[in-house]
Amino acid sequence: MRLGMVIDLKRCIGCYGCQVACKAENGTRPGTTWARVVKREWGEYPDVKKLSIPVLCMHCGEPPCVEVCPTGASQKRERDGIVFVEGDVCVGCRACVMACPYGARYYQDDQSDYFGQGENAYEQCVYSAHQKGVVEKCDFCRHRLERGEEPACSANCMCKARIFGDLDDPESDVSRLIREEGGFQLNPELGTDPSVWYLPQER
Amino acid sequence: MSSMPDRLDLRRQDLAQVYRPQREWIDGRGILIVVAHFFSGIGAGAWLWSTLYDFPLGRVLAFASVMGLSGVAHLAFLGRWDRFWRILRRPHQSWISRGMWAIGVFGLAAGVVLLRVPGSVLPGLATALSLVAACGILLYEGFVYAASRAIPFWRTRLLPALYIAYGLRGGAALLLVAAALGGDGFDVAAVEAIKLWVVVSTAVLVLLYLVAGSRAGGAARESVAQLVAGRVSPSFYGGTVLVGIVVPVALALGRETLGLPELALVGSIGVASLVGDFYVKYCVVKAGVYTPMVGASGV
Repeated sequence: MRLGMVIDLKRCIGCYGCQVACKAENGTRPGTTWARVVKREWGEYPDVKKLSIPVLCMHCGEPPCVEVCPTGASQKRERDGIVFVEGDVCVGCRACVMACPYGARYYQDDQSDYFGQGENAYEQCVYSAHQKGVVEKCDFCRHRLERGEEPACSANCMCKARIFGDLDDPESDVSRLIREEGGFQLNPELGTDPSVWYLPQER
Repeated sequence: MSSMPDRLDLRRQDLAQVYRPQREWIDGRGILIVVAHFFSGIGAGAWLWSTLYDFPLGRVLAFASVMGLSGVAHLAFLGRWDRFWRILRRPHQSWISRGMWAIGVFGLAAGVVLLRVPGSVLPGLATALSLVAACGILLYEGFVYAASRAIPFWRTRLLPALYIAYGLRGGAALLLVAAALGGDGFDVAAVEAIKLWVVVSTAVLVLLYLVAGSRAGGAARESVAQLVAGRVSPSFYGGTVLVGIVVPVALALGRETLGLPELALVGSIGVASLVGDFYVKYCVVKAGVYTPMVGASGV
């Protein structure tokens, strides 16, 4: 099994709902956005186009972050292809941050809170799950998957722009969409073989 | 808390850019990795020259540079002393891991050489091991950067060559400074001749590296643009080119005109070269930008 995600750029309205859902689910500190939305505009008035591209860890088939990790903290799970960081093993050298072309990794040295008045009760609770001095990233909400739920970003996408499933199953929704709607990966030339696919904004 | 909005704004700006600059290995405590590579590079180079020319003070300085200054900078960068040893776990895959092994072996072997441990086989073996480990240190640094698939400016075999050349150059410069400070039994003239050759060859290598980067296009070309005409250019022209290349060559060629005392001249060439060696590493690391995910070539 290889878990992956398809993001339909026709459906995405750039509402940042995935970003907020991820932060709420994983309790990341300010400045850390495992799921985020990149916006690009091109053209000149009146012929202007805008594109919202949700990005997250691509859970690559050939993850460059795992390749450079000197401790084995960055790993790819055999059973479903999820790339994750073992916080207890990471030493914070940040080689993986340099190797990741998708900006998916965050070094956790900033202990700041959101409101500048000390951590509130919610923050105290959620931040305690994060170690200082290590690299962290999206893990497709492993804890939710264990409960049979899909990742928070796809579960909360109000436009159903994110579809989560098994890329190895040719009958799954993700495989079918990639096949039928011209799915593509980001930076295929780097040979990372991402598990996150995109459907074009225009047919 | 006052710096939080600045830092967050900076991160937000970076993520919105087409060419996102790398900051983890240059800003804040990240500069320590450049410092660590600088000291381990010149230390390894100095060890090779000192052994070649049998210069005891040079060997001591080389050891102090690798195991003392570079070691402290490495540990301060990581900030996790208790977990440092874990870096040794994957030499089969990671250049950082290989480098730490090289530094560890160097520390042990060079320590035996410096302590003059008696025996018929041990000193020779330790010297040989220390030389191999010093070569390993010179080799690994460039590959640490070249392994980063996301930063095209670094992802070239010219970068390890540049780091090796600058390590040898910096090593020679360290010995020139040591000689100027009163090191006895050191053939300054011999090393100075080599030094001049290395200064010229590193200048050529820097030029080749920039030409290759600009021809590669995309993010590598953007890095070159930042070096020669962008945010890194003051450091590049001031530190790498002027102090690191022009000044040592000018001092070496103009020794008759300047009329400086020999040791002062040698020391000045050494110091200028060391500054240049630091700046070339600083500039290369600082100019690193990521391959754009979207925007440059569109989606």
